[in-house]
Amino acid sequence: MIKLHDYELSADCYKVRLLLGILQLPYERLELDVYPEREHRLAAFRAVDPLGRVPVLDDDGVILRDWAAILVYLAQRYDGAQRWFPRVDRPDAAQAASLGRLVEWLSFAQRLAGSAGAARLHDTIFEPADIERCRASAHELFRMLDEHLWFAEQQDCPWLCGRDPTIADLACFPDVVLSEEGGVSRLPYPAIRRWTDRLKRLPNFTTMAGVFPA
Amino acid sequence: MKRWFPVARREELSPRHVVHTQLLSQELAVWRDDAGGINAWENRCPHRGVRLSIGTNTGSELQCRYHGWRFASGSGRCSFIPAHPTQKPASTLRPQVYPVLEHGGHVWVALQPVGADAAEPPPPPPQPADGLSLRSLYVRAPAARIAAALLRGYRLVADQVAPVEQIDEFSLRATLTAGTRGPALQFWLQPMSASATTIHGCLDGTIGPAARLAVLRHHNTQFTLLREESERFG
Repeated sequence: MIKLHDYELSADCYKVRLLLGILQLPYERLELDVYPEREHRLAAFRAVDPLGRVPVLDDDGVILRDWAAILVYLAQRYDGAQRWFPRVDRPDAAQAASLGRLVEWLSFAQRLAGSAGAARLHDTIFEPADIERCRASAHELFRMLDEHLWFAEQQDCPWLCGRDPTIADLACFPDVVLSEEGGVSRLPYPAIRRWTDRLKRLPNFTTMAGVFPA
Repeated sequence: MKRWFPVARREELSPRHVVHTQLLSQELAVWRDDAGGINAWENRCPHRGVRLSIGTNTGSELQCRYHGWRFASGSGRCSFIPAHPTQKPASTLRPQVYPVLEHGGHVWVALQPVGADAAEPPPPPPQPADGLSLRSLYVRAPAARIAAALLRGYRLVADQVAPVEQIDEFSLRATLTAGTRGPALQFWLQPMSASATTIHGCLDGTIGPAARLAVLRHHNTQFTLLREESERFG
């Protein structure tokens, strides 16, 4: 049985719950009260992750401590169609490039976490942050994302990496869709709003507190 | 203000989607029903004031996220209240509905409440049927500052800056060679608020499918430069 060390309000945990739901994998949630109890800082959890971060995945003893690592692992191990993280033996130049682009979007998701995500944690659970700087960076990233998605739609490739959604879409979605909790409006980004609607309509999409179905 | 403003490209009112926009500081929820009918409503549920743009477009109604009240496409009249399923809602329960039309490649709204005494403003000027609607761009600057930047000239094609003439406060036109049938670009400025504007554009003339994407990218680059220039002195 897959176990997920999880916090309901964590955008990073939500990335993993989204993929677990889409792949219809049963799992056990080991919930931590990050706020206000700060259970992730206690010795019991520090034994699981010395840095005290969620999510942590435990799949029959395979322990992974980072959302990107977990998404790659779950897609490789359990996505029989290899749709969410395409696996290519001996890739040609184009396939290698598209894999590179996918990882580029995973890095972009990390930037979203450091800007829109940090602004949200500042406003909701009082994490320290330079709030104006976080919001300004979030808008800069949203502008780039909106432009990418607009041109993607024009080419009938409505997802971040082409015609089908991948873990890149799941990785970027949480900090975008929750941005208003950090004071970052999505009103200026109509292509982003259409993309979040599309993602919400994927089969087996799951919500979390603050995320509504489409 | 008695005039029509473009608020979105037509295809951006995609199926079961609700567009969130703003005009002269008035927030709007703009959506298309499954029969193709379009709506532009004040973005506020008349019940508890929640934004309708986070609600659900059911294809014939817009359902508020908060208590599930449903409002019918066209009239905006409340058609169903989940807490009172057997009661017919009062006809006065509806969000403010604004006149809306599809014209050329865009959806246009007039901030003249439907049902008010005054008539709708005259329709916007005719648009070429084969124009190419460009990517609209949100700019954190008032419309006047963008117009001033545009009047310094616009790179209509890669190697040529075209003169721009101002038609009125919110519309301008770039023409490469005055009086001839050369390429021309119509700009409309959607005043979101006193400090933010969305630039919309439509290029006259037929663009072949092979050139289309490159043309869209060229103008997106020009709009982005215009945005940088307009936001620089905020």
